[in-house]
Amino acid sequence: MVAKGQKRKIHGDYEIGGSVWASQLQSVLDISMDKFHHDQALVEPSLLRSVLINNTLRQVQFEVESLSVVGNPKSQTYTELQLESDFSRGSPLMGHNTHTDEDFMAWSSEDEFSLSSAISAILKDLDAVIEIGGPGPCVSQRAPLGSIENVTRDGKFTQSGLRTERTSDIISSSSKIDTMYPSGLQDVALDKLLLDIDTTVFEPEVNFLQGFSVTADELVKCLPSMSKSSSLDSPSSSICHGQATWEIHEIEHVMDILMRTCPQS
Amino acid sequence: MAGVGGGNDFQWCFSQVKGAIDEDVAEADIISTVEFNYSGELLATGDKGGRVVIFQREQESKNRSLSRGEYNVYSTFQSHEPEFDYLKSLEIEEKINKIRWLPQQNAAHFLLSTNDKTIKLWKISERDKRAEGYNLKDEDGRLRDPFRITSLRVPVLMPMDLMVEASPRRIFANAHTYHINSISVNSDYQTYLSADDLRINLWHLEITDRSFNIVDIKPANMEELTEVITAAECHPHQCNVFVYSSSKGTIRLCDMRAAALCDRHSKFFEEPEDPSSRSFFSEIISSISDVKFSHSGRYMMTRDYLSVKVWDLNMENRPVETYQVHEYLRSKLCSLYENDCIFDKFECCWNGSDSAIMTGSYNNFFRMFDRNTRRDITLEASRENSKPRAMLKPRKVCTGGKRKKDEISVDSLDFNKKILHTAWHPKENVIAVAATNNLYIFQDKMN
Repeated sequence: MVAKGQKRKIHGDYEIGGSVWASQLQSVLDISMDKFHHDQALVEPSLLRSVLINNTLRQVQFEVESLSVVGNPKSQTYTELQLESDFSRGSPLMGHNTHTDEDFMAWSSEDEFSLSSAISAILKDLDAVIEIGGPGPCVSQRAPLGSIENVTRDGKFTQSGLRTERTSDIISSSSKIDTMYPSGLQDVALDKLLLDIDTTVFEPEVNFLQGFSVTADELVKCLPSMSKSSSLDSPSSSICHGQATWEIHEIEHVMDILMRTCPQS
Repeated sequence: MAGVGGGNDFQWCFSQVKGAIDEDVAEADIISTVEFNYSGELLATGDKGGRVVIFQREQESKNRSLSRGEYNVYSTFQSHEPEFDYLKSLEIEEKINKIRWLPQQNAAHFLLSTNDKTIKLWKISERDKRAEGYNLKDEDGRLRDPFRITSLRVPVLMPMDLMVEASPRRIFANAHTYHINSISVNSDYQTYLSADDLRINLWHLEITDRSFNIVDIKPANMEELTEVITAAECHPHQCNVFVYSSSKGTIRLCDMRAAALCDRHSKFFEEPEDPSSRSFFSEIISSISDVKFSHSGRYMMTRDYLSVKVWDLNMENRPVETYQVHEYLRSKLCSLYENDCIFDKFECCWNGSDSAIMTGSYNNFFRMFDRNTRRDITLEASRENSKPRAMLKPRKVCTGGKRKKDEISVDSLDFNKKILHTAWHPKENVIAVAATNNLYIFQDKMN
């Protein structure tokens, strides 16, 4: 059964390997690669979007591989197809879809490797960008209750042990990238990684400030919740004056330390 | 014509619209979440600028018995500010992803609001008295020099104009590496969960410096990542049960009594794919954008790109009901993939009695389905239909052939006008629909 809304063609056209299907495959591949490259330029692409695009690319790759394995020779020329509105993309694509039989097969063999590399690169990049920071210290580790079923898990758990310290995170993720990146992309990936890393990240005060704004006001706002002395129902002005003064002094003291150790710009 | 949601003599009418009329919409004003509180007295909206606006329903007037009380602005505050992650050189958006109310336990109201990384507990309270005569600070708030205080006095409470103030009571930060997509208050009213793309954490409302990680689907090798968490919700009555949905169209129900770490689900809900409708976009359109338990707790509803499905928690292999929201878009999926509309995350909601469900669509259309009569209706949130108590006319999309007079063709739909966020009053037939930067409130009109 053809997709709804599509005009019925000669029966063979929408078969896997048919001209319509091949054109759709090309469209999907083009759009997916466009999005992949666009997302590469973003500092933090959406993980959901990336995963969906990657899976679509994998599906395209699978279709291409199955086509080449089956050895489905395309005896017809892919001329400009008068596709229905379901897969129409306007004239630029129509021109782009003109392939000869040999071009199509050549494309599939040459770009297969780059497709795999592209997919791998997407996910590794995401891992490199996202995992440099890791979650903050308030996320409990994988055995919050110390129960037995937590201990016997596989390597997923060991990874979490790295997240308590930021500096070890950076070292471990950079070494991970060294070993995992394909050679063609390694230099590019390392450059990107190094651009993302600020050398001041190795200094402890940056870890302290992770996720917090640096103003004293913000720290004061956070203090009531950390002090455990305030209850849910207490009014916002419940902090006694003496405690507030002491806490302001403490914050100033901390800020002094940070200013002394942090190089003046 | 009979409407949906209450019975045969039922019509939806325009009640109010909030927001600017300008054609140029400021990005910060785009509404990103809408939520009624437990009683329906308060309606909260969050926007991309990190602001929360709370509307309160006015007391019903005896003279105006045909219409219910209107919602007026009660409180506005800046919940989240844009932040900069120095370590990753990333900007953290201030956009409010979700608001969830806590049940009211005293005069004050509490809600949780979250952006991509940080959840905050806000207290909204009314103040009509103020204390004067502090010892340690002046009337303007400046600290007095302790050495100059020679006598003590007792502060006295003086009346003042009613002021509604919002104050952050808790800040739950630094627990999510990935973007938070859901928060859900547990039925024990002591804990809540927060979910990002790969992990779900359980918090105690009183404790901000730690949380329990209860679900982690991050693979050891990120190359193997093919599925992410898209939504999560606690069961409305069973405090040990929660569900989370995935980008592959599956829902996992987990029982926290079974293990501290719920990587293994208790129930797995997935509908077998129809091979005849398989396409390159099958997986993308199966990605679940929202999951909501029914008020009864017996059912749950999921929204994917083209449909809404109602699941019986006792049946995992298929949904009990499926409603097509905009099936006419199936033939346009490639275009919608190209312009990114296929990634839009529509929400869905139940009415108070679980007899009807609502979700949004494009062209500022929203759809309602009556589960009992199986009737459905398409309505539009538009300024053109914004006369007080004006009845909403059902809309219809023409999918082919000759277009009738009041129909709109698929190609004429405005895909920039999308209704992603809707909310239904917990007890009455009053609905709130967010259309970009405008909030529409509609209510029923009994004939």
